[in-house]
Parts: sequence; C-alpha cells; structure tokens
Amino acid sequence: MSMEEIFHPLKEPMILGAAISIIVGAVVIAVGLTYFKKWGYFYKNWLSTVDHKKIGIMYIATALLMLFRGGIDALLMRAQTAVPDNGLLDAQHYNEIFTTHGIVMILFMAMPFVIGLMNIVIPLQIGARDVAFPRLNAVSFWLFAAGCGLLNLSFIIGGSPDSGWTAYFPLAGTEFSPTVGNNYYSLALQLSGIGTLLTGVNFITTIIKMRAPGMTLMKMPMFSWSILITNVIIVFAFPVLTVALALMMFDRQFGTQFFAMQNGGMDMLWANLFWVWGHPEVYIVILPAFGIFSEIIATFARKNLYGYKSMVMSMVVISLLSFLVWAHHFYTMGHGVMVNSFFSITTMAIAVPTGVKIFNWLLTMRHGKIQFTTPMLYALGFIPIFTIGGVTGVMLAMSSADYQYHNTMFLVAHFHYVLIPGTVFGVLAGYHYWWPKMFGFRLNEKLGKAGFWFIAISFNVAFFPLFILGLDGYARRMYTYSESTGYGPLSMVSFIGALGLAVGFALIVYNIYYSWKHMPRNEKADVWDGRSLEWATHSPVPEYNFAVVPTVSRLDEFWFAKKEGRDITAGKIEKIHMPNNTGAPFWMSGFFFLAAFFAVFSLWTPAIISMLCVFGFMIHRSFEDDHGRYISVEEVMATEKSLRGDK
Amino acid sequence: MKIDSSLPLEYSTEENRLKIFGFWIFLGAEIMLFATLFTVYFTLETRTGSGPTGSEIFELTPVLWETFLLLSSSFTIGLGVHAMRLGNKKAMMTFFIITLILGLGFLGIEIDEFVTYVHEGATIQTSAFLSALMTLLGTHGAHVTFGFFWGVAILIQVAKRGLNPQTANKAFIFSLYWHFLDVVWIFIFSFVYLKGLIS
Amino acid sequence: MKDLFPKQHVMGFGFSLLLTIVALSVVKFDMSFNMAFGILLVTAIAQATVQLVLFMHIGESEDKKTLYTTILYAVFVGVVTILGTLFAMIWGYN
Repeated sequence: MSMEEIFHPLKEPMILGAAISIIVGAVVIAVGLTYFKKWGYFYKNWLSTVDHKKIGIMYIATALLMLFRGGIDALLMRAQTAVPDNGLLDAQHYNEIFTTHGIVMILFMAMPFVIGLMNIVIPLQIGARDVAFPRLNAVSFWLFAAGCGLLNLSFIIGGSPDSGWTAYFPLAGTEFSPTVGNNYYSLALQLSGIGTLLTGVNFITTIIKMRAPGMTLMKMPMFSWSILITNVIIVFAFPVLTVALALMMFDRQFGTQFFAMQNGGMDMLWANLFWVWGHPEVYIVILPAFGIFSEIIATFARKNLYGYKSMVMSMVVISLLSFLVWAHHFYTMGHGVMVNSFFSITTMAIAVPTGVKIFNWLLTMRHGKIQFTTPMLYALGFIPIFTIGGVTGVMLAMSSADYQYHNTMFLVAHFHYVLIPGTVFGVLAGYHYWWPKMFGFRLNEKLGKAGFWFIAISFNVAFFPLFILGLDGYARRMYTYSESTGYGPLSMVSFIGALGLAVGFALIVYNIYYSWKHMPRNEKADVWDGRSLEWATHSPVPEYNFAVVPTVSRLDEFWFAKKEGRDITAGKIEKIHMPNNTGAPFWMSGFFFLAAFFAVFSLWTPAIISMLCVFGFMIHRSFEDDHGRYISVEEVMATEKSLRGDK
Repeated sequence: MKIDSSLPLEYSTEENRLKIFGFWIFLGAEIMLFATLFTVYFTLETRTGSGPTGSEIFELTPVLWETFLLLSSSFTIGLGVHAMRLGNKKAMMTFFIITLILGLGFLGIEIDEFVTYVHEGATIQTSAFLSALMTLLGTHGAHVTFGFFWGVAILIQVAKRGLNPQTANKAFIFSLYWHFLDVVWIFIFSFVYLKGLIS
Repeated sequence: MKDLFPKQHVMGFGFSLLLTIVALSVVKFDMSFNMAFGILLVTAIAQATVQLVLFMHIGESEDKKTLYTTILYAVFVGVVTILGTLFAMIWGYN
C-alpha cells in the first residue's frame, strides 16, 4: 500500500481540517496535562482504574464525544439532502458518512452510553462494592476504546468504510470495496465486540452472585433486571458478530470464499449472520432504556412500579424472541413465503411484551403525583413518540407490505423513532437522573428542560416527514434526488429539525459546563427521594460504595426504610477488601489496537508481534499474585464522617 | 480472604466461586461461537465449486485417532481434577501432563491432515465448503493450542506454589475449558466427518 | 492408587468410547440418511451430556440451576441459529 493510498483522505479540505483539529486537540491536552503536572493523577486515577464508577464515567464521556461525531455526520447528510441535486457531498463521501454515522451511533455512542450507565449504577443498586471482575471490566473499557479509536482513525488514514453500517457483501468485498475502509470495519468492531462480550460475562456474574443479602432476584430493582437480561443477550449474540467479522476479514484479506460470488460462496450469508447478531443488538440498546424509564417513572410519580412480575416476564420473553426474528431485516432478499411468514409472525409477536410494558408504565403514573423533572420529561416524551416507532415496526413486520417499505425513508424513520425516543431519551434521562449521585451536584434543571424540549420537538420535525417521503418512494442511502421527485420540501423540513436537534445536544453539553461552574455542591445524597439502594450511598460515592452492606427484605427496601425511619446503612464497619488499580488493561489494549491497525493494512509481521505482546500481558496476568488491598476500619470511618455532610 | 474448607479448594473462596461461575457463562458464549461456525459450515457444505467434497478428502483413520486422543485427554484431566481434590499434587500434575501431551498428539494429527489437504489441492481458498471446513476445524484447533499454553502456565504455577485456592481454581477452570473443547470435537466428529462420509 | 481412578470417571470414559463406536456405525453400515442422522444426534448429545454432568460437574455447586439454564439457553439459541439459517438460506429459498 503506497503512502498515497494511505493518506489520500487528507486531500479533502474537510477531512484535512478535522485531522488538524484532532492533532491540535491532542497536543493541547498533552501540554495541559504536562503544565499542570497531572500525568501522574491521570494515569493513577483514570488510565489504571478498576473502579466501576470511574470506568462508567469514561464510557459515557466517550459516548458523548461520539454523539458529537455521529451528529456531525447526521447534519452533513441532512444538509446534503435538504435540496435536490445538492453538491455539498459527492456520492463517495455521502456513502462514507452514512456508514460511519450508523457504526458510530449504534456501536460507539449507544452501546458505551448504556454500558457506562450499567457500570455506574448496577453495583450500587444491588448493594455490591464493585462488579465481579473489576480488572476484566477495565479490559472491556479499553478494548472498546481501542476499537472506537481505530474506527475513528479510518477517515484520516486509509479511508472510511463506505458500504453501510451493515456492510453487505458483495459490495463489502475487495472487488467492490478495494480500499482498507472495510478492513477497519471488521477489525475495529471485532476489538470492541470482545470488550462487550466480557462485559456480558462480568455483569451476569455480578447480578446473579453479588446482590446484597436478602435481595432475591424478584426483589431487585427493575433497572437491574433489564441489565441482567441485556447482558444475557450480549453473551449469546456477540459471538455471532465476532465470527461474521472474522469471516469478512478472511474473505477480504486471505482470499477465502465465504461470501464470494464464485467457488460456492454465498454473499447473502453475510446478511443472515449480521442480522442474527443485529436484531438482538437493538434489544441490547433498548432494554436498558426500558429499565431506566421504569426507575424514573416510579420515582417521579411517587408510586411503586406497576406490574413488577409482568415487567420481568416481558423482558425474558423479549430476550428469547429477539433471537427468532432476524430475517425481517431482509424479507426482500428472495426467500419463499414460508420463511417470510414465519419471521413475520415472530416479529409481530415481539411487539406484545413491549406493549405490556407501556401499559405498566401508564398504570404506574395513574393516581401518582407527577414531578416534571428533566428525567421525567424524557420518560413522558418517550411513551407516545416511541409508540409511533413501535407501531410502524409492526407495519414493517408484515413481509408482503415490507416490499413497499423496505430500504425507503419509511424504514429510516421507523428505526430512528425507536432508537432516539427509546435509547437516546433513555440514556439522557438516566444521565440526568444519576449525575448527582456521581458528582455531588445536580445538572441545571432549566437547561436540562430546554434541552429536552428542543430535542423532543426537533426530533419529530426531523423524522416524521421521512415516513411520508418513504411512502412516496424516497429510497435510503441515496446521496441526492432530482427536483421532479418532489422530495425537496419535506427534506428541507427534516433538515430544519436536524438543526434543532443540534441545538438540543449543544444545550446538554453546555449544561455540563454551566452546572460545573454554578450548581451548589451541597446536594443531599438522596436528591430525588429515590426508592432503590444507590440513593442510600453518599454523593459522590466513596470508592467502596457501602461502608456497611445493607440487608434487604423486600423490593424498594430503602424507600420503606425511609418511611419507617430506619437507617438502612447502619451496622458494624469492618475492613473492606478492594482490588488494586492496574495499568495492564490499558497497555494490553494499546497493543491490541496496534495489532488491529497493522492488520488493517495487511502488515502481518508487526501485527503478529503486537499480538504476541498481548499474549505476554495475559501470561503475566496468569502468574501475577495480586490479592488487592484492605481499607482499614479507621479509614472507612474517616471517609464516612467527611462525606456525611452531604446527607 | 475467607476460606470455606467444607468446599473443594477451587470453590473455597468467594472470588473462586465467582470465577468458576463467570467461566461457565463464558462457555455459553463459546457455544454460540461454535454454533455460528457450524451454521456457516452446514450452509456451505455442498458448495464445493470446482474443489473436492468432504467425502473425497476425509479419511476416517486419522479422525478416529484424533477422537481417541482428545477423549482420552478429557478422561485424564478429569482424573487430574479428582487427584487435586484428594490433595495429591504429584498425581494431579502427572495427569495434567499426560492430558497436554495427548492434546499435542491431537494437534499433530490435525496439522498433518491440513497439510495433506493442501497437497491434494484443497486449500482454504479453493471453495466455500473448504473455507468453512478449515475455519471450523482451525478455530477448534486454535482453541486447543491456546489451551496447551494455558495448561503449561498452570502446571508451572502448581509446581512452584503448590495446591492452594488460587492454583486449584485455575486448574479447575482450565479443565472446564478442556472438557468443552472435547464436547465441540464430538459434534465435529459426528456432523462434519461422519456425516460427510455417509454416501 | 484405586482412589485415583473413581468409578464414575472410568465408566464415563468407557461410555464415551462406546458412543463413539456406535456413531461409527453410520459409516460402516448401509442405512437411510435420516436413520444415520438420528444415530449421530443421539450419540453426540449423549456424549455431550456425559461430559457436562460427569466430567464438568455442572450440577455440583449452588449455582447449578443457573448453569443448566445458561447451557440450555445457549443450545437453544445455537440450534435456532443453525436451523433458522438453513431454513432461510437453503430450505425455504426460492
């Protein structure tokens, strides 16, 4: 591969500008860290942390950064299609942009946001001191970061992937995509996929084995249940993606014939495998949002969640059915009627448990005393808007009708109507809700509400027209259209909505800065008068979470303890065993990143050497004899005393 | 670290129980990994292009040897774990060493099998069937290879540090991994080789 | 010496060898494809069960219900993936 081929993206002014700003930004950060002598602090407290709370914060910080990246992609796409025959982006660029938009938003924004929130909240909600495998948790984060970094590098060095986030063959093969873009795709997603799989193992173990004494599974908060089910889906779905991506790499770089158009290859098999993973993946991003809404609606309606058992059952059913519906993503690929009918039935069936949940949320609010805080606004907005996404999903589920909707803007509108009001509203709600627990101060309510309204209204302005355009015949992934199609006016409306969304997200980010500067720091730990155990800890939470692990006898024990005047955290303090920080996950992931980077360019010798370094870290870990450390009773008591001012 | 001496060493601490549990969950993920590879194999099994079919290249004798070696290694590692539970470090190490040697034997035959295929003109690039076959077999073989080095690392630790909750836990988890690989092989033996040889 | 070779293990090993020989019959004898496939399925599942229960001691800890559920779930999803793919890509394809 010549230097010309590797650095060709930099010939474009936009990309060159982005590359320069990234380098400048990195230099500024490095200089700043050096000037303020913070490298040691940064390494000790963040790069080598194994604390689930810090890891969660790093996930969310990355997600917000990626939200910005994916959002720019979205704005560019909407700007390009706002008017017919627009020349802002040519076809190649448009393809690269919608590809990276999809990859970034789903895998590097939604997933880390969800995983970040589960990292922060789950141990606190179940009364544990950390996750089951803290070091593995750090490995998960750094592998995710390595994959994210690798994909983001692509648009500067070598070129972005450009065959859609679904990377269908034969387009994604070397014949039609000869640049390294899809190599980045297969390797970056394999890396972060391994991290996610390890998260799955970690959180199932944590939730099953480390709950506080007395907290049976049916006495667990609903968010914890949603995360348990989510991680079960992760454990069984992600290996499929890993295999599919490996086979893609083999076809592209080793000349195998899995998805080839000759020698017996079957190009459709890629689409099949991708969606066997892909459909459970969308449930992985939505179930945590459902869990967050359950917590928020109960808290801000001042009522217990209605229908606990049916909420649990519906999520279990969703997890099972989610593996039975995948072919609805390619009804039009040429199957016979039996196949399409089977998957239509399972797809329509999977709407039922979600419907059960919507009714349970409504019934929770009935006769409740609603408090219209920012998180609650997101939950209230979610219910009607997500339902639009849901019912259009049932429309798409009917295979014969889908021949009309497939790959039109109708489909694009459907999935944005479930992803944004579902996942994005959910993580934004959760982020506002749990922020004070993490940082000891609240986010400003006025700015939060303004952000919500901009986002909720602009979202509908941006995406509702797409339903109409789709029914009118506007296909997706088209970089332009002619004036005679008549798609112009509604596309312009959509672009205006996108601008409104940008304002909304800018408000959310500005809120961080504004609140950090102005919001009072003496917030009480139980800032929302919450129901579950995380609100029994201090804000911010000390390293060990609970000085005394609470004993639980029923659901929402903390809520009832407050009503009955009991202190759920009272008890004898003993020395606390904590794991040691370690930089190994960071360094090992760095070598993994290098190995993947060299593999992208088929530089096999340096790739193998880097992988050997990775194995070196694993061997070192095997022989390591690190038993952690103890926090003494005196130190715990001192920390508790200094934090008690917050209570 | 609290040690519960009513349980076998490998289960005796809280951390140990978590690790064993976590590894079982990981095995669930590995089942899906191999299920996907089997999916690809069964889908592409008849798509041989201009290359040979399974029945044309499979040879029963080496496959039977591979099966016997791996099955026996599963037996010996089971005996190794049992010896470990009796506190017999020497017997445990002996059985583990035999297990790893049997594993090496398996790998030797498999590598020879691949070399034979390549000499016959059946490479991973020849057809979709062969790509799928060699990826399935190769992934299993790579797992066995990784297991070999993992087993050696554990043996060194047991030799140097003796049998304690940590080393026992690692050895037990390794045995779960090794047994799992044998289970996968049983399905490969049955549904790749035997099924392929039926004609 | 005898307690190094527990009865369960030896019997399990013997049974596995027997099941392997039975599986071989599909190649050595003439039979319909369905019969052969059935024999392979039964012997493979039986051997896998022997491994899981007798050798891996899946039922020995307090977590046995969860472990059985995990393995069953994994097998369910695996079988659905295999059969569903064959259905969509080959058997049900036009």
